[in-house]
Amino acid sequence: MTTRRLEQIRNFSIIAHIDHGKSTLADRLIERSGALSQREMAEQVLDSMDLERERGITIKAQSVSLDYTARDGRTYQLNFIDTPGHVDFSYEVSRSLYACEGALLLVDASQGVEAQSVANCYTAVEQGLEVLPVLNKIDLVSADPDRVVQQIEEIIGLDAADVLKISAKTGQGLDELLESLVQHFPPPMGDPDGPLKALIIDSWFNNYLGVVCLVRVFDGVVQPGEKIRVHSTGREFTVDQVGIFTPKQTSWQSLTAGRVGYVIAGIKSLDGAPVGDTLTHASQKTTVPLPGFKVVKPRVFAGVFPVSAEDYEDCREALAKLRLNDTALRYEPETSQALGFGFRCGFLGMLHMEIVQERLEREYGLNLITTAPTVVHEVLTTRAEVLEVHNPADLPPLGEIKEIREPIIQASILVPQEYLGNVIKLCEDKRGSQKSLQYVGNQIALEYEMPMSEVVLDFFDRLKSASRGFASFDYEFRRFQVASLVKLDILVNGEPVDALSTIVHRDLAQVRGRELTERLKSIIPRQMFEVAIQAAVGSRIIARSTIKALRKNVTAKCYGGDITRKKKLLEKQKAGKRRMKQVGKIEIPQDAFLAVLQVDQANK
Amino acid sequence: MFRFTASPPLALYVHLPWCVRKCPYCDFNSHALRGELPATAYVDALLADVLREIKHIHEREISSVFFGGGTPSLFPPAALARLLEGLQRYLRIAADCEITLEANPGSVDQARFEDFRSAGVNRLSIGVQSFQADSLHRLGRIHGPQAAVAAVETAHAAGFDNFNIDLMYGLPNQGRPAAVADITQAIALAPPHISHYQLTLEPNTAFAARPPALPEDDAIYAMQIDCQTRLAGAGYQHYEVSAYALRDRRCRHNLNYWSFGDYLGIGAGAHGKVTDLDKGKITRYEKLARPMAYIREATAGEAVAKSHQLSAQDAVLEFMMNALRLPEGVPRKLCTARTGLPWVCFEAAVDDARNRGWLDITADDRVRPTALGMRFLNNLLGCFLPPD
Repeated sequence: MTTRRLEQIRNFSIIAHIDHGKSTLADRLIERSGALSQREMAEQVLDSMDLERERGITIKAQSVSLDYTARDGRTYQLNFIDTPGHVDFSYEVSRSLYACEGALLLVDASQGVEAQSVANCYTAVEQGLEVLPVLNKIDLVSADPDRVVQQIEEIIGLDAADVLKISAKTGQGLDELLESLVQHFPPPMGDPDGPLKALIIDSWFNNYLGVVCLVRVFDGVVQPGEKIRVHSTGREFTVDQVGIFTPKQTSWQSLTAGRVGYVIAGIKSLDGAPVGDTLTHASQKTTVPLPGFKVVKPRVFAGVFPVSAEDYEDCREALAKLRLNDTALRYEPETSQALGFGFRCGFLGMLHMEIVQERLEREYGLNLITTAPTVVHEVLTTRAEVLEVHNPADLPPLGEIKEIREPIIQASILVPQEYLGNVIKLCEDKRGSQKSLQYVGNQIALEYEMPMSEVVLDFFDRLKSASRGFASFDYEFRRFQVASLVKLDILVNGEPVDALSTIVHRDLAQVRGRELTERLKSIIPRQMFEVAIQAAVGSRIIARSTIKALRKNVTAKCYGGDITRKKKLLEKQKAGKRRMKQVGKIEIPQDAFLAVLQVDQANK
Repeated sequence: MFRFTASPPLALYVHLPWCVRKCPYCDFNSHALRGELPATAYVDALLADVLREIKHIHEREISSVFFGGGTPSLFPPAALARLLEGLQRYLRIAADCEITLEANPGSVDQARFEDFRSAGVNRLSIGVQSFQADSLHRLGRIHGPQAAVAAVETAHAAGFDNFNIDLMYGLPNQGRPAAVADITQAIALAPPHISHYQLTLEPNTAFAARPPALPEDDAIYAMQIDCQTRLAGAGYQHYEVSAYALRDRRCRHNLNYWSFGDYLGIGAGAHGKVTDLDKGKITRYEKLARPMAYIREATAGEAVAKSHQLSAQDAVLEFMMNALRLPEGVPRKLCTARTGLPWVCFEAAVDDARNRGWLDITADDRVRPTALGMRFLNNLLGCFLPPD
């Protein structure tokens, strides 16, 4: 077996904060390769999910292969593997980086380095990638390259003396960028004649083709007609098609070692091609698989319930399909007295949760109620058992609880000096304790330990408003820690609504209870009768609000010609009700189940 | 195919679309008048239009005629007289036919009212809306409080013993005392009929585009109760959601809508609903809305813009949308007679509504909303909407 350098291939990704211009740069690169017409370039092509384009973020890894003829006269295949920029998706980032030898660290020349880029950059360095810093938006008047170069050196510790300065918008510096990319990034290593080893970086379901796998071939060759095996399951498939994305799906005769491309092999079942798995030829019974990825643990849990019970099976199927290329997503069946049958889902963070919910609603046409997210708690029972509680409703009775432990995270925050006071106050409000404070240029790097439940609530939004959007933030799980926690129940006309229960710090129970009952009062529409909303800890009522009865619901006028329009009005009212959940006699809108999240905002 | 045993009574609606100017709350097919009102051409078009309606009549008499608008009182009385003569020629108008004309204060004088009366109009509906200068201004009305009072007095003087006053409540900036003052003033003018509506912001109106600040729901409801108490005290019977009348002075034309009778509609944007006994179907239709297009097409041949046949589900819901507006309800037999559908088509929804306490079937076999059902009529009607 002869491992060698595959000189004319470069595999790389771009690490960038949201808005720092990654998509624009990707567009320029695609344009330069001439793979798409001007018209096809009309939109940024890489963020292909509607949701991604709307939010201007990348959720899923995608790849593009470009041909580039360098100054040495040789044509290189550049494989760009996209990485998500948000902290929730750090797992996806490490997956994308695994398939690369190099990474461009793209930094906005006026905004400077952000905490998420720092974290992703460390991941790249840890994985042995060559990192090349690049300043973007150099054409802006507000660009301050010297300051940002200093930041890159101080915060990240990269030598930025020869930093590339580009404008992805105007194309300035693009040639130098492509040349440096070819010169600085090492070519992939691999044995094209060895037994096949291809890593599944991502996979998704296409209605016509079945499962499409995005792979990085490490050794060997894969081509249509061959029998391949998915290592973990041992199942065998015949390859129908291989190819690359230019970004158009373009079929090739084979994919050889070092390359990144797709494999379609008639895989129909949803779990047929798990991300992180290794593809080999069917004849290779003893090949040692590639290391794959570490399994990430979801940290945030929420109930996802179809509004109408008939959608339950569709919901299960949709979750299964999403899980296929989102291995971080967890789900297990859950039953709520208030909301019926649904699923307890585990997410990486809040954005991940929102994205999953939106995809379920948009791509699968489901009408859902999502409960407020909660973190995982550890409960030590009086029988000395340790339980992992994903749902406040599953908390054992008070008498059986010896202690409750909550997850603590370490938050890394970068903030300009003028907002330091606001941010410190916010961290203290959120029960944080300061671990370090360092001046880095004119920014401050803060480290805080704080309960994860506080971060889940609304920390990110409030950090943004406390710093006018300038602070950036990253976090990682540290440990479980004993805390004085209680379960806060919400009763609607005397009936507890399990889906509205939360676990809160004892000292905050009263305040949260009051905020929550007030918030629910403003969300739940008036009904034909008075509705009492109470907050309780155990059997003790700690707060109450009252929704007054609606006086009437009548259309004032209805004559001969009006009937069609008035009928539409009735239908609209009924459709409005359909989006609500009937709990006992009371109709509760979906937002109510997220009210826990909004209490703080409502009071700011 | 529905099975009818007898044709429903038949009314005639005539739409006269012109106004001096369009009010910001109005969602009817009305058009601000620019230049001369094309009365002759319009009457010709209406008469051509009604001729093509004859196929829907099936030997019935016309029990009521309603000239709605717009502001029909802007129409020259002579043109209206010619129209009524023409209608008499083509249709069988009942001897005791109720013939109503909508009039707006500010567009009437005694001579005009007398002329309308001699043309055959025997009932007026006067769009007073409020007696407060401030409210009238906010509603974009062209008249002031004096003109409102004068219009009613003129109606009396011109010999009308049957007329209605339209009033609105829940107006921008209106307090409870102002609403009560309006109803008190209306009662003092002794109209035989009062329509008392809550102002609603309808789509495609100036108010919908720039919504005025309206009183709180609870305050509006308090106005309603106060006004209803005064109306009842003065002998007005509450016979429909927003309609109140002295004995024998209920509006026959509107009652025909609410009891799911038939009506022909002529004029720009007019709606009609007709039952075909032999074919067993109910049809709704709508005439072209733009006045000039209507004149052109009606004169040339055909002014129907669209029409559709009711499904059984439509018929049940639309029947109830009308009939349940009446606190006294309707005989249970009317449900089947007017829709041509067997009782089984109503039964499940009626039972559901009864179980919720919104609907009654009385000892004399009437279907009637309860007091609660009356207050939550839209919820009650929700029972009759087809399931998802």
